[in-house]
Amino acid sequence: MKDLKHLYYLEKLLQEANNELVREASAEGRIAIGGVCAQIPEPLLNLPGCFQVRLRAPRTGSVEMGTYYMSSLLCECCRAILERALEGGYQFLDCIVAPDACAQMNRCVENIEHLKLCEKDKFFVTYADVPMKSTGTALKHYVKQMQVHVLEPLREHYDIDVSDAAIRKAVALQNEVSRLIMEIGEYRKEANPRITGYEFAVLCLSTYCCPQDKLLEILRETAEELKSREPDRKPAFRVRVVLAGSEIDDPELIRLMEEAGALVVADRYCLGSFPNRGEILLTDEEDALTQVCRTYIQWGQCPRFMNTEKLVERQTYIERLVKEYQADGIILQQLKFCDYWGYERAHMTHVMREDYGIPVLSVDRPYVAGNSGQLRTRVQAFVESIEIKKLAAGDRKHG
Amino acid sequence: MGKQMGSEPLGWFYSGKKAKKRREWRGFKDTWYDYTRWLYIWKTLICFMIKPNNLRGFFRYRWMLNYLAVPDFFDRHTEGMRGTQLRIAHTGLELIVVDVCEMLRKIFRADPRIGNDRKLNSKIVLFDENMMSTLMAGFPNLIWLSAEVPSVYSSSMMNQEGVTHYIEKTTEYGVPGDVCPMPAAELGVALAEDFPLIGKCAVQCNTTCDGSLMGNGIEAESFKIPTFQLAVPIRHTQESVQEYGADELRDCIAFIEEQTGEKFDWDNFFRCMERFNQETEQMLEWFEISKTDYPQVIGVSLALYRYGVYQAAGGRNPEFLNRDRKITELAMKAYQNKELTIPQPRHRCITWGVQAAYYTAFPIWLQNCWGIVPITDMLSLVSTQMVNTEDQNQAMLDLAYLYENMIMRNRSNGGYEMGVEALWRYCEMFRVDMVIMYAHMGCKAMNGYHGLFEEEARKRGIHFIWVNHNLMKPDDASRKDMRTEVNRYMRTVLREEPLDPSLEDFEDGKAF
Repeated sequence: MKDLKHLYYLEKLLQEANNELVREASAEGRIAIGGVCAQIPEPLLNLPGCFQVRLRAPRTGSVEMGTYYMSSLLCECCRAILERALEGGYQFLDCIVAPDACAQMNRCVENIEHLKLCEKDKFFVTYADVPMKSTGTALKHYVKQMQVHVLEPLREHYDIDVSDAAIRKAVALQNEVSRLIMEIGEYRKEANPRITGYEFAVLCLSTYCCPQDKLLEILRETAEELKSREPDRKPAFRVRVVLAGSEIDDPELIRLMEEAGALVVADRYCLGSFPNRGEILLTDEEDALTQVCRTYIQWGQCPRFMNTEKLVERQTYIERLVKEYQADGIILQQLKFCDYWGYERAHMTHVMREDYGIPVLSVDRPYVAGNSGQLRTRVQAFVESIEIKKLAAGDRKHG
Repeated sequence: MGKQMGSEPLGWFYSGKKAKKRREWRGFKDTWYDYTRWLYIWKTLICFMIKPNNLRGFFRYRWMLNYLAVPDFFDRHTEGMRGTQLRIAHTGLELIVVDVCEMLRKIFRADPRIGNDRKLNSKIVLFDENMMSTLMAGFPNLIWLSAEVPSVYSSSMMNQEGVTHYIEKTTEYGVPGDVCPMPAAELGVALAEDFPLIGKCAVQCNTTCDGSLMGNGIEAESFKIPTFQLAVPIRHTQESVQEYGADELRDCIAFIEEQTGEKFDWDNFFRCMERFNQETEQMLEWFEISKTDYPQVIGVSLALYRYGVYQAAGGRNPEFLNRDRKITELAMKAYQNKELTIPQPRHRCITWGVQAAYYTAFPIWLQNCWGIVPITDMLSLVSTQMVNTEDQNQAMLDLAYLYENMIMRNRSNGGYEMGVEALWRYCEMFRVDMVIMYAHMGCKAMNGYHGLFEEEARKRGIHFIWVNHNLMKPDDASRKDMRTEVNRYMRTVLREEPLDPSLEDFEDGKAF
């Protein structure tokens, strides 16, 4: 297929946390907010006058300092982010807004705070307690926490407009971005998709790591470009998979899978398009903050939502994606040492295989996995196993 | 060998096998006391075992085997003790044994596989292991039980290898080996179908850690009864979360009411909370004594007993308050007589982090071998706040505070202030010069502070000794490995000689 016009530029942007668009927005006097988790609704971090940069540590090499501070038994992603902070990689941030969602990321942020690794004068860190259930009681708490620990500090420290109108404006922007992303992602349903999982991951990830308004034009042009893009006649993939699990902030991982023959047609992981690139529907009957929080609670697919209904919903959600995107299997992956996904992956692997009859590749992986030979071999073996199953099913069908 | 503390080398008792070479001689009076209490434990166990339901339970559930080690548990946890220390240990820990036996009796009676008492079963509300039972004070006609406590928690304390089989079950299921062994063992029990299927309904909590709550979700499927997930706030020090904590408890109460048809009894609740407050007052008395040069209620006697009082009894069982008072009386008398807990106290320490369930007697070793007096521990430093016993709304907020501050949870959650900063305050308060930092491999919440702990301890001039363990998996760091880390520090950094050299290096890998 012909290269997408903006792909190289976006790939380059993703090589840095403090990328060109971030620098541009900061130079305009906007507030750069470090985000670490999807539990803080993005529109609250993308209010007029500020923008979210999801913390990543691209091109990570050694994480020795991060390991000293957090021990070798913690999630490598958290250690890599701390390492990057120790290297001075997040000096551009004006604040970090962190939910106490997973203990490990929380420790990472606390280390950044207590080691004073971001030196801007008015820099602050705020922690919000986010609910683990999707009930009405939880929503009330969620709204309060967002008010007290996100909106208030932003208003107090940087005089950010946190009014209902401002939230609605941020939602409108995000909806526009999400509509474009989902429009682009729809092509993955095609029998021979005109966009690869890797390309889509680059586009989608950019929307978490750059000021969203600055990406709009790129996304519009890409959506337009895709309308006439011709896929290769001979598909470059052997099987279609849904990729699910813990946070993936490096599209190279998806490239690796696709090189091994597994086309990623749907992405149900943190920083993917499902569910966080859905549209937030607002009405005038209720305040925007409550509606945004309700949407995020309903969307929430993180295993930390502990009520049984959510646990079951996570399984049916992935099953729906498998059907909708005609996937042949699921790759369930987790970052090593992630407690949430450690349990969820094990359990979901059993449920998906045994109750839903869907082939599953279940893997844990290091933070930097784009060049992992071991992982490549496992994906190849998974692809082959699905092909064998398909052949066997074909044989049975034909007699 | 004799009446005096430290009069015989305690390491010589270890034979390298399950049992020790012989029982300790503590002088006539203390040996007689210890022996009669030891017989009392046997009597309790035998009375328990002769009941048909309990005997059947013993043969049905693999984890019951661990309770054969109860008498040995007492020997381990009274090693080297004399006089008041010995009496305090027995006074507290014996009640825990009686309480667990009573819990098991009810479990087996209700268990459809054994006693199948349906009427009893319909009164049982099953609680999560690390969850306080305090809420049940409002339901005097219902029975609080935890299937996880006898199967996992106390099992691993009785026998160091007590739950490794279940942890392996969970690993076989596909859960990574790096998660905390406690929820892993609990899930393993569920996967092995070794949980008694009891209860009208269950309440689970987002207890100690991320792993713990994740294990719960899967376990809930095996209970096959309606289950409520109580999600109290994680950032529990913030004012803004308290109302939510109380709302969650109200939802939980409504759930229990709906499932059982019982109404929350405020009068009974307030009565129990008055008792609970008195228990807290007793504990504060002990802490006051511990601030002096003659601490009395310390180490294991404090930690294991308080776990039972604070978490499991929660003001509902009057016998705990009686024992508390008895312990206070013993401690006050010993303090006035200026009794020492060991012959030569050299260091005062706080044990921080989560203790190894397979080596709960470690603080006793610290005392006997190196003269390090374990003044208090992280798990015992829970709420010192009183629960309101008049105003329902305030009582609910106070109760939420208790649930947010459950043992382990109050430090592993809540952020830097609770996990790190509080330690230095306690160091000052209890005048300690040393911290024994349990580095529990599976506890990511505490491990995330590793570097900050080191730097802050260095700034404050506190001896900070890391002791690695893996809670319920002795294969990852044995008891001996734990001792070696202290030995190294004491020899190389402090250049000290042990009080009892026989305890510096001995083999107990095969012991209970």
